[in-house]
This record gives sequence, C-alpha cells and structure tokens, in this order.
Amino acid sequence: MVKRFLYSQKVAPYVFVLPFVLVFLVFWIYPLASSVGMSFQKVTLGQEAQWIGFDNYAKLMGDKTFFKAVTNSAVYMVLTLVILIPFPMLFAVLINSRLMWGREFFKSSFFFPALTSVVVAGTIFRLMFGEMEGSLINSILGWFGLDPVKFLKGQATGYIALVALATWRWTGVNILYFLSGLKSIPDDYYEAASIDGASSWQKFTRITMPLLKPTTIYVVTISIYAGLAMFIESMMLWNGNNSPKNIGLTIVGYLYRQGIEKNNLGYAAAVGVVLLAITMIINLAQLAFSGMFKKEE
Amino acid sequence: MKKELAAKIAIFALFAVICLLILIPFYAVTIASFKPGEDLIRYGLNLRFDVSAMSLDNFAYLFTGDHAYFKWFFNSLLLTVVQVALTLIVSATVAYGFAAYDFKGKNMLFVCVLLIMMVPFEILLLPLYRLIYDMGLMNSYSAIVLPGVASAATIFFFRQYLSGVPKEIIAAGRVDGATEYGIYARLILPVMKPSFAAMAILNGMNSWNNFLWPFMVLSDDNKYTLPIGLKTLLTPYGNNYDLLIVGSFFSIIPIFILFVAFQKYFIDGMTAGAVKG
Amino acid sequence: MKRTWLITLLVLTMTTILWGCGGGKPSASGGKTSVLDGGAGQSATELSYWTFVELHGQHFEKMLEKWNKENPERQIKLNVTVMPYDDMHNKLSIAVQTGVGAPDIADIELGKFPDFLKGTPQLEPLNDVIDPYRDTVVKSRIDLYSKDGKNYGVPTHVGASVAFYNTEILKEAGVDYTKIVTWEDFKQAGIKVHEKTGKYMGTADTSALWQVSQLLAQQGTDLTDDQGNPVVNSEAMVKALKLLKDLQDNNVIATIAGGQPDTEEAYGEFNSGNYATAFMPLWQMSRYTNYMTDLAGKIAIAPIPVMEKGMPRSVGGGGTGTVVTKTAKDVKLAKDFLAFAKLSLDANKEIWNTLGFDPVNMDVWNMKDVTHNPENKFVKYFVNNPFDVLNEIKDEIRLIKSTPASPTINNVLCTVTLNEIFEDGKDIKQALDDAQAQIEQELK
Repeated sequence: MVKRFLYSQKVAPYVFVLPFVLVFLVFWIYPLASSVGMSFQKVTLGQEAQWIGFDNYAKLMGDKTFFKAVTNSAVYMVLTLVILIPFPMLFAVLINSRLMWGREFFKSSFFFPALTSVVVAGTIFRLMFGEMEGSLINSILGWFGLDPVKFLKGQATGYIALVALATWRWTGVNILYFLSGLKSIPDDYYEAASIDGASSWQKFTRITMPLLKPTTIYVVTISIYAGLAMFIESMMLWNGNNSPKNIGLTIVGYLYRQGIEKNNLGYAAAVGVVLLAITMIINLAQLAFSGMFKKEE
Repeated sequence: MKKELAAKIAIFALFAVICLLILIPFYAVTIASFKPGEDLIRYGLNLRFDVSAMSLDNFAYLFTGDHAYFKWFFNSLLLTVVQVALTLIVSATVAYGFAAYDFKGKNMLFVCVLLIMMVPFEILLLPLYRLIYDMGLMNSYSAIVLPGVASAATIFFFRQYLSGVPKEIIAAGRVDGATEYGIYARLILPVMKPSFAAMAILNGMNSWNNFLWPFMVLSDDNKYTLPIGLKTLLTPYGNNYDLLIVGSFFSIIPIFILFVAFQKYFIDGMTAGAVKG
Repeated sequence: MKRTWLITLLVLTMTTILWGCGGGKPSASGGKTSVLDGGAGQSATELSYWTFVELHGQHFEKMLEKWNKENPERQIKLNVTVMPYDDMHNKLSIAVQTGVGAPDIADIELGKFPDFLKGTPQLEPLNDVIDPYRDTVVKSRIDLYSKDGKNYGVPTHVGASVAFYNTEILKEAGVDYTKIVTWEDFKQAGIKVHEKTGKYMGTADTSALWQVSQLLAQQGTDLTDDQGNPVVNSEAMVKALKLLKDLQDNNVIATIAGGQPDTEEAYGEFNSGNYATAFMPLWQMSRYTNYMTDLAGKIAIAPIPVMEKGMPRSVGGGGTGTVVTKTAKDVKLAKDFLAFAKLSLDANKEIWNTLGFDPVNMDVWNMKDVTHNPENKFVKYFVNNPFDVLNEIKDEIRLIKSTPASPTINNVLCTVTLNEIFEDGKDIKQALDDAQAQIEQELK
C-alpha cells in the first residue's frame, strides 16, 4: 500500500524534491528567521536576549564604518562586473573563432588559477603586493623606474589588489561559461549573416551578444552575489579582518567583526539582514531590467 | 589571406601575454618554495631566480618534517570527494523532480531555489552554528556537507540541462512499465552524464576551497582541511613560512596533474550544459 | 564513462599514497594540537588548552612535568592547540557564546579580554586560587582581567616597556644610546643616524598603541577617563602624536611594513637592520631571539626617552590572561593547575627562563642567579642584562586601564586614526576628534 502510494505519479515528484524542501526548511528558513529575529534583539553573553525593536537598525544608519563596508563591497562588485563580464566574453569569442591558435592550451591556462584555494591565492597575492621594494609588484614597478607603492595601505591600490586577485581567479571560469553559451548558437546564423555581407563586428553585436544574453544574465547574477558577499579574499590579503583605515572591510567582514569578534550578535544580524536586502534588490532589479521575468514568447 | 594571418598573430600575441601574466604568481610561488621562508618575510615574494639561494630543504621538511600537512591534505580530498558525490546525487534528483513533473507548489518551490541562490550564506553563519550545535554535529564533516547537499546553483543548472532532454524518454519508460524512480535511475541519469562532469568540477572547486564555514565548525585540528590548516600557519608567532609556501605550492601540484591529464574532459564538461534562459 | 573511472581511480590511488605518508605525528608547530603528558600516568585527566603563542605551550610543558611529579593523585595530560591570534580569539568567542567547543584553559590577549567580560562572563572566577599568591605579584596586572571584584584571568608578565637599540647602527652613526634621556635627545640622535646611514632611528607605529601608551603614561594620563569612558582626543594625546609626527617629519622614525615592530614583516625589516630602535614591552625580547637571529649581540636595552626628565619611563604593555572556561571538564583541577603553572615562584622563574618575560612576581627580578644566569639564551643574546634596566625603572611602570571600551578604542585607533596621521598626513587634532566620535558611535 505504502509502496503503491510512493510509486504513484502524483507522489513521486514530491519524493524527488523532498531533500531540497528539508534542507531549505532546516538550513535556510530556520536560520534566516532566527537571524531576522535576532536583528531586533540585544544579545549579551550568558544573559537572556532583550527585544529592542529597531534600535540595531537605527544605530546602523549612523555607523560610518558600516557605510565604509557597504561602499567597499559595492565598488568591488562594480569593478568585478566591469572587468569580469566584457573581457571573458570577448576572450571566449576569440577562442571560439577560427583565427585561434592553441585554443586548448589557452583555455586550460586561463582556467587554472580557479583551481587554487582562496587561502593559497590570497596569501600569494598578499606577498606579491607587499610594500617592500623587493616584493613582486614593486620590483616590476622598479624596472620602469617607479617608486615602490604601499599597495595594501591605500584605498585605490587596495582595490587594485582585490580586483587583481578576483580577475586572476575568475577570468577563466567566466570564459568557460561564455564558451558554453556560444556552443548553443547555431553556425547557420553566422553563415547567413556572411552571405548578407555582415562584418565581424556586426555579427558580434547582432548575433553573438543577443544570443549570449541568458548566459550573461547568469554570470551577472552570480557575480553580483559573489561581489557583495566577498570576505575571505580581503581577509587573506590583509591577513585578518582589520585593514588599515578599513580599506578592505566588506559587509560580510563587518558582520563577522560584530558578530564573532565583538560578540554583538544582534547588531551583526542587522548587518546580515541589510546585506540580504541589498543583494535581493540589486539582483531582482537586474533580472527585471534584463527581461528575465517576461514570459517567453 | 594575409589579413587573416595578421589577425591570427595578433590574437595569439594577446593571449600569450595574458597567459604570461596569469602564470606569474605560479612562477613566483614555485621559486619561493625553494628558498628559505625567512627570505619571504624579508624580501617579499619576488621573481628573483638565484640558484645559489635555492635548496630542497623545504621539500625535505614537507615530506619528512613533523607536521600535519598531509593529514590536512587527505581530509580535504576526502571531504571534497564525499561532498561532491552527495551534492550531485541529491541535486540531480531534485532537479529531475522539477524538470519532469508538474505538481502543486512547483513554481513556488522553484522560486525558493532561485532565492537561495541570492541569499549570501554568510548571513546565516551564527544561527546555523547554533543549529549545528543543537543537532550535535559540531566538529563533524556532516556539519559541512549537509547544509549544501541540495545546492541551489547545481539544482538550477541540472534543471536547465534536463529541460533540453526530450520528454519522450520518460513517456517511453512508462509505456515499458518502469516505475517513476526506475525511469530516473535507468533512463535519465545516463543522459545527464555530461552535465555531471561540469557540476562535479564546479562543486569540487568550491568544496576544495571552502574555508569560512568549515573553519567555524571544525575545532579539532585532526579534522582540519587544507585551507584551514594552511591558514593556521599564518601567524607571526610560529615561524611557519617554510611550510606555508611549500605547502601552498604542493597543494597546487596534484590538481595541476589531474587538470593537465584530463583538461579536455574538464573543459568539455564545463561547456556541455549550456545555460539556457 | 571510462574517463570517470580513470579519475576516480587516480584520486583513490593518490589518497592511498597520501594516507600512507601522512601518518602525521603531532608537534607543537602552528595550528597543531599536541598532547603533552609530562610524565602523567594512565589515570591522568586530559585538559585542553588554546593559545596563540607557541612558546606559551612550551612553558606549560615544563610546569606540567613538575605538577605531575608533585601531584601524583591529580595528574594531567595537556592538549595544547596553537592557533593564529585572530582565529583563536574568534573561535573561543563563538565557543563561549554557544557554550560548546571551548577548551578547559585558554589564553586571552589583553586587547580582546573585555569582550569576554561582557554580560555575565562565561569564565570561572579565579580569586580563590589567586589568593595564596596575591601578595607576591603585581596587583595591577591581575586587575586587568577582573570585573566586579572577580578575577577571571591569570597574568603572564608585567610587560614593562623598554627601548631596544641596535648598537651596530648607532655605532656607525656615532651615537651613544646611554646618553639618550629625553625625546629631544632621541630626535637629535635620529637625525644623525639618518644622515650618516640613511636608516631610520625608529618606527612610526600605525597598527599598535605601544608608543602612544608610553607617551600617555609619561604624562600621567590614559585613553579612558576615571569612569572608563574613551578620551582619545585629549591634549595629552595630541601632544603625544605631535611628538611622533615631528620625529617622522625629521626622518627619525618611519612607518614600517606590518605597521609595528611585533609583526612578521617588521621582524624582517629589523633583522635586515633598516630600523635602529623599537619601543616595546619587554616580551619583545623573545621575538628578537626567535625571529631576528642576525641581530644577536647587537641589541641593547634601555629605558624609554621621556618628554621631560623625571617623568615615569615605562608602562605595562600587552598581556595575556589565562582563563578557565565555565564548561571546563574539571574546573577545580584546571584552576589549581593554572595557578601553579603561572603564579608559583617556580612558575615565575620559568616564565623568564623559557619565555623571556618579566614575571609578575617581582621578587624574581632580584634573584641574580635566575636573572643573570649566563646560560640563559636571552642573557646571551642581548648586550646588557634586561633586569638591570627593569630594576632601574621598577617604580616607574604605569598602567593603561583596560575597560569595556578598550577593544573599540584599539580598533579605531589602530586601523584608522594612526594610519591617517602617519601614512596620509591628516591633521592630528582632526583625526583624533574623528576617532573620538567614531568610538562613541560604536559604543552606543
């Protein structure tokens, strides 16, 4: 009887998606709800939590360090989008073109940095961007007669280091995403365009870009997410969560600082809720803007 | 045709230059792993190739020294294999449920999948930590594997892939009298093979590199993974740079070998399942 | 499918190989747990201990052997885990918040200690085990780790600040460090050093408050007022930073990689002889012997210069309070052992012998056989004996209070303010006013 019930076509789909429902309820909804609840509380060690309404949020609005963290995360996200969408797309198109020599070799070597762990890559970049004259980047600057730069102590140069790390690790991955998108574009489109006398540029803007849109949306979505939630990269570059003048502090970094380093659980939860709101708004706006929600004709 | 040759050369040159830039950090670490760790602190990581200052001491220490490096390495490997296997099986099953059936609440549930993809996992850290404690899973690998076992991104990817698989297969299976689960196991799973490779790679990378959450739930250093272990070497009070840098170098080597040996398979797998909107 | 099997096979082979050579014997190096049995028998209780300084474990190892010999009925095995500073404190913080995963005994650094005293501390009061030793040790060091009359941490050292001079560089420049009494003397000497050698006399610290604390102590003030409220834009503070800024403008001091002398980058800079002086608590000695081996026989210890003659010449800096957590397996045993290992006379001697710290039992400072032991690695390394200097400044060691506001003050000054002043040249008064505002906002 039970067997028949479980094997029926009506019940089977629920059995299939059951693991997701369980994980979703236990590991997402429950913590998410308690996180939201905690953001309205003052949680003190060894004492009952106190409800304090919107106090945490009010405090957050006047917190300069928090805004610094938001700015850093936003700038980082924008910079990674600006670099890690167009260039990988272009490279993917070039790799895919018949003008390419050594296709497989380049695909692999571009992808390779993605295989190193953030801890390893971050450490390598921290040492490369060291402020000593002899460290890698400074010694290269030296060849051009430039003075050594304290990369990890200045805001702009700090961003450079962060974005360099992200670019190094993710260019290859994004190229692969775009390559997979390119595969789904039928060759006849290009042939037809050639017959009509279209230039390479026209083919790129009229055929490639529009047809790559689904892939682009996907990559943009995960990049926004990854950009706003970045933390470990900064932690490794500055060997801790306390960078000079907070130039490397991100939203998650601030959450970590408040919740774990300073034991302000309630306040940290409020930071988390704001982060969630920002991520949601930007992503939904992006998806709406790119027509993701329109019914497919 | 001359124009075409020029274009070819230009493109090749461009890629060659970028490739060199990408390889610089690897080159620097490789060199550094032959130098004393103290040099690293004094002069920073650099490109200086000086045979007289190089030795195999670090490697000797890596293989014969008194440290836990290979334990971490093994832990990471084990965790990655287990996590990837479980995540793929569970996520594929869920994705099939979404792709093959129409059922009540399906759209709402799928929106939940999409939402999870946008919720930064980091904001759940603290409540999740308490939950894991209440479940008695502290300091266990289950604490790391379970929350991610139905991975939203993986489910999403599989569903997209399955939507390209003809429904006739399923119908034919039913006609032949196969059960719903039999259809999935015997007819659909084989078709999904190429997409499995792609997701295995992406999930494997995530798992191998995962730091924050494992770091929080693992307290016994016998269970540390490689990233956590290497991170513990980053202390000014330990003089561990010898092991750190050679360990970092060595952590890349096996992946490198795997990657070179199977690169075509890796990349074809990644590009097999096109993302459809 | 064949390929998949190949990969699986390869992975399996690799794991087998790695498993084979990764039998992993425990050791005391970074991030490692090691079980010290100190001659304990089968029935010994196993206690766990977290620290962020590997050397502290070595001290406990010595004391453990003595304990197990003297207390055959209450023997202990100590499970020592060494983690990086931030990681250890963060993990400990999570552990005490959730009440799980905490060790029995842990080191908490002074700068982080107030965070663990928030609300109801999840630590065991140690008054009863401190009492027998209370009269023998410096009271203020215990007060640092106390709340409402309860002592939660056992101190490790006094941390008297002194100057460490690189005599080789000074000789080259023709400077006699023993003649440096005031900051003006220091400045003139520094100008000479920079002219003659191109090197810097000292560091302008951007990521630590050692120098600031020293200069405040000389003026008899603190970072907080009597109620423990932050006052980082006081006149004394402006004066202190103006003095340092003036030194920086004259190329006497300069910022250093790592931001302060007690970082791995700075060890490298000092070891290469790029900076001649460090103003640090006495425990910096152990950093010299461990990480700056090229400087052996070149470093002299002296009192820190003062603004005006007669001002106090030292301040207690840094510190580690060792605690027993509420979740400890055997609280009584952990407490007794802790007091024995850190407060007994033997322990205080060993703290100097093993760690090179100035022990909190100041009687030890006068025991010539201990302090001037020619076999001691610290005595060997330095040009003069540190205790000669310590005894000279003994009554001048001031204290910077530790209050609930301290971690925030530290964080704002060390990440933002000092960088703005020394790296960006921001106006001192402005930078300090901003810092005060930021600290007040964060403490709200």
